[in-house]
Amino acid sequence: MALPLHRPFRLGAALALAATTAITAACSGSASASPGSSAATGSYTITMYTSATQKTVDAVVAGYKRTHPGASFSIYRAVTGDINARIAADERTGGVRADVIWGTDPLSMEAYAKDGILRAHPITVPAGIPAQYSTEYLIPTRLLYNVLVVHKGFTPVPASWSDLTQPAYRGKVAISDPAAAGSAFAVLGYFAQTPGYGMAYFSKLKANGAVQVSTPTEVVTDVADGRYQVGITLDSLVRPAIKAGSPVEMAWPEPGAIAEYSPIAVTANSKKTAADAAFLDYVLSKPGQQEIAATGWQPVLPGVPGPRIPAGGHEVWPNWNALFPQEKQLLTRYQAIFGA
Amino acid sequence: MLPARARPVSVVLVVALLGALIAVPVGQLARTAFASGWSGAMAAAGSRQAVLALEHTALVSVLVTAFAVICGGALALVVERRPRRSRTLLRLAVISPLLIPEFVLGFSWSQAYGPSGTLDRAAGITVPGLLGPTGVVLVLTVHAIPLAYLVIAAGLATRAEPDLELAARASGANGRTVLRTVTLPLLRPALTAAAALVFVTSTNSFAVPQVLGEPAGFATMSTLIFNDLNLSASPDVFNQLAVVALEQTALVLAAILVFGLILRRTATESVRGPTTVGERAAVAAGGHVASRITTALVGLYVLIATVVPLLVLIGVALTRGPGLAPTPANWTTSNFADAFSGPTWVGLWHSLVLAALAAVIVIVMCLPTVLGTGGRARTTLGAGVLLGYAVPGSALAVGILIAYGSPLEGSAMIILIAYLAKLWAVGHRPLSAGVDRLVPEHAMAARASGAGPLTALGSVVLPPLRVALLTGAGLVFVLAVQEVTMSGILYGPGSETFAAVILNQQDLGSDGATAALALTMTVPLLFIGLLLVAGRRRLRSPEAVA
Repeated sequence: MALPLHRPFRLGAALALAATTAITAACSGSASASPGSSAATGSYTITMYTSATQKTVDAVVAGYKRTHPGASFSIYRAVTGDINARIAADERTGGVRADVIWGTDPLSMEAYAKDGILRAHPITVPAGIPAQYSTEYLIPTRLLYNVLVVHKGFTPVPASWSDLTQPAYRGKVAISDPAAAGSAFAVLGYFAQTPGYGMAYFSKLKANGAVQVSTPTEVVTDVADGRYQVGITLDSLVRPAIKAGSPVEMAWPEPGAIAEYSPIAVTANSKKTAADAAFLDYVLSKPGQQEIAATGWQPVLPGVPGPRIPAGGHEVWPNWNALFPQEKQLLTRYQAIFGA
Repeated sequence: MLPARARPVSVVLVVALLGALIAVPVGQLARTAFASGWSGAMAAAGSRQAVLALEHTALVSVLVTAFAVICGGALALVVERRPRRSRTLLRLAVISPLLIPEFVLGFSWSQAYGPSGTLDRAAGITVPGLLGPTGVVLVLTVHAIPLAYLVIAAGLATRAEPDLELAARASGANGRTVLRTVTLPLLRPALTAAAALVFVTSTNSFAVPQVLGEPAGFATMSTLIFNDLNLSASPDVFNQLAVVALEQTALVLAAILVFGLILRRTATESVRGPTTVGERAAVAAGGHVASRITTALVGLYVLIATVVPLLVLIGVALTRGPGLAPTPANWTTSNFADAFSGPTWVGLWHSLVLAALAAVIVIVMCLPTVLGTGGRARTTLGAGVLLGYAVPGSALAVGILIAYGSPLEGSAMIILIAYLAKLWAVGHRPLSAGVDRLVPEHAMAARASGAGPLTALGSVVLPPLRVALLTGAGLVFVLAVQEVTMSGILYGPGSETFAAVILNQQDLGSDGATAALALTMTVPLLFIGLLLVAGRRRLRSPEAVA
């Protein structure tokens, strides 16, 4: 595929090239269909569906290839919804094509597990990674923190989640849509489960003029633009904005940032079990976790330093196992408050 | 044009292609929609979501058709009747929004005029309701005005009769009376054709409703199909998706039928006039002041519709992060670096190869269609080819996925099949018009002089068609590179197209990187498009598929 695209593109030249490259182009998509070796040695192709950031995927895959020269990857990277669509289309046309699925939130991944798409216990989770991060099918790769983005210079900076329902923030708060973003569902799940907040927290936010936008990315953009002064979003989105010079700051409210883990899993259809396991082992190894940390995420392996967490910053966790069966019900209750 | 014994072969070939590319996918779609029987399909069609999407689509299409035909017609009347020299630039200006991919137009409008867009931050200016039905109708109208304009301008060139208008003026009729009693009746077929084209295009539209309607919860049939696919693990949802896709196909076909009937009536009513030059009427119709006002109005329209959004797009692509002013102090090239990390080059390469292949194959497919058939067979097959363009992209893609997914899902080949089905008509139209102007005796003379059938084809028939062939191939190429609806549904690991990469970037990445990609897609296409428009003048038919 390394073709000289930087040269001025000419129709005639392209037509001539087209004839010779037609087969390449036509076949490139079916690379996953070629039989791969079942061992982690030799040459094989791992097909991966992922919603992780491009930089992170690139870094981890490159790192794995350095120690496994025979490996190549066929990657489908899209938002969670598109991955759902791809898997649904796969299932209707001969079965899931992916060997590995690397998602952003446990919720949609757990739904795949329930549909019987995933393989149980693909690897042994390394010691030191808290048991609460993984399930029978899902292996944790990195942590995401839901925090607050605050427009630069805006005071008072909220000290706790409950501050957002105070008059000082009337009409100034943006949140993202839990139907669109898995991380927003983690926020919804945490508050719904936690005494003292409950669904009443969202009613109070709404009554205080909080506005729901689509994605956590949009929350950062809108707060940077000054359209809202405070927003609930992911730490990994706020840091690059601060670095780019956007007028925003990060706040780490009490009782803590709402954490979630980004799971990886092996499909039941994959015939490359050893290769898949080798790749998952690498993602959770020290070098793999260092690549993840270097591209802006909190690693799950103890002892690998990630992005700096503010001094005294805590983290809190929703109880995912309790949330899995409640998805629809919670969304319905939420949408009754923040209806579309 | 081909020897008589080649004709049955051509007809069989074209019918087989029509079957494989259009009938089988639509048939499979219907089979899926009715998988749980008539009552199941009715239940899916009657769901609140499906009914709302149908209402929204119909509303948007009717409004866009009305606005675009009125504005396109008015523009055609004022621009086409000006002296040739001042006309060319205005024409290009009016056509410019069509040369910007629909997705890019929607995205750049939201960045320019949307809430917390560039103009909002700089001067507090927003277009009220841009995110929502108003914005969808507005931006689709901007995109459709050039389409209506092209069809109506072609109608003006062949139908308007300055002598009749001058006679009416000389007999004491004022400008309005002439317009009402002479010009518009003569233009009725062109207006109907323009309305049909705009209606079909806006019903099929996906990118603008997705970018501007979706954030406000305003779903059309195309966006509902796309978003249903995201939840399609559930069989109920997949069933609803097939039903909505089939409904959308039916809506478009019904519209084409109605417009076709109107067209047939108006065509027999009006007298076909000789081709005349419109300039004399122009001089008679308006003075210098009116002409300056026209230029100023067209200029203002283009400024708002394309120039400002494109400038804002450049600004966003160059600015370091959100919330920063697009001033030199905040400029960076890192958005381009971000945008081109990952599979972007590969996607660009796929798009170019797929588009080039589609262009070549479509032209090859057109040859038996227009040269190997004649009379009613050609008209009927031409109508069949047109169906592929009419079937909404999302519906066609889902049908092709069901029909050919088993061996081909996620491959570049399945995207190519979709492009061929959709864009066959785009190549067919100019070629068919070019063949109409050929003199059949030339080929016969060549054959009588001893030339073999291929020699006759290569030396006598094809050379005068060169412009038509190039126009057809060029249009297929441009539209294939811009295509996002079908490739967004059909691409898989390793077969992403450039448009799919951009759509993903908008979902997963920053506005800056999306803007950088949108610019990369627009600038070369704008250039090719302008070349085509300039080249079109040698060919009298509009490139639009009416």
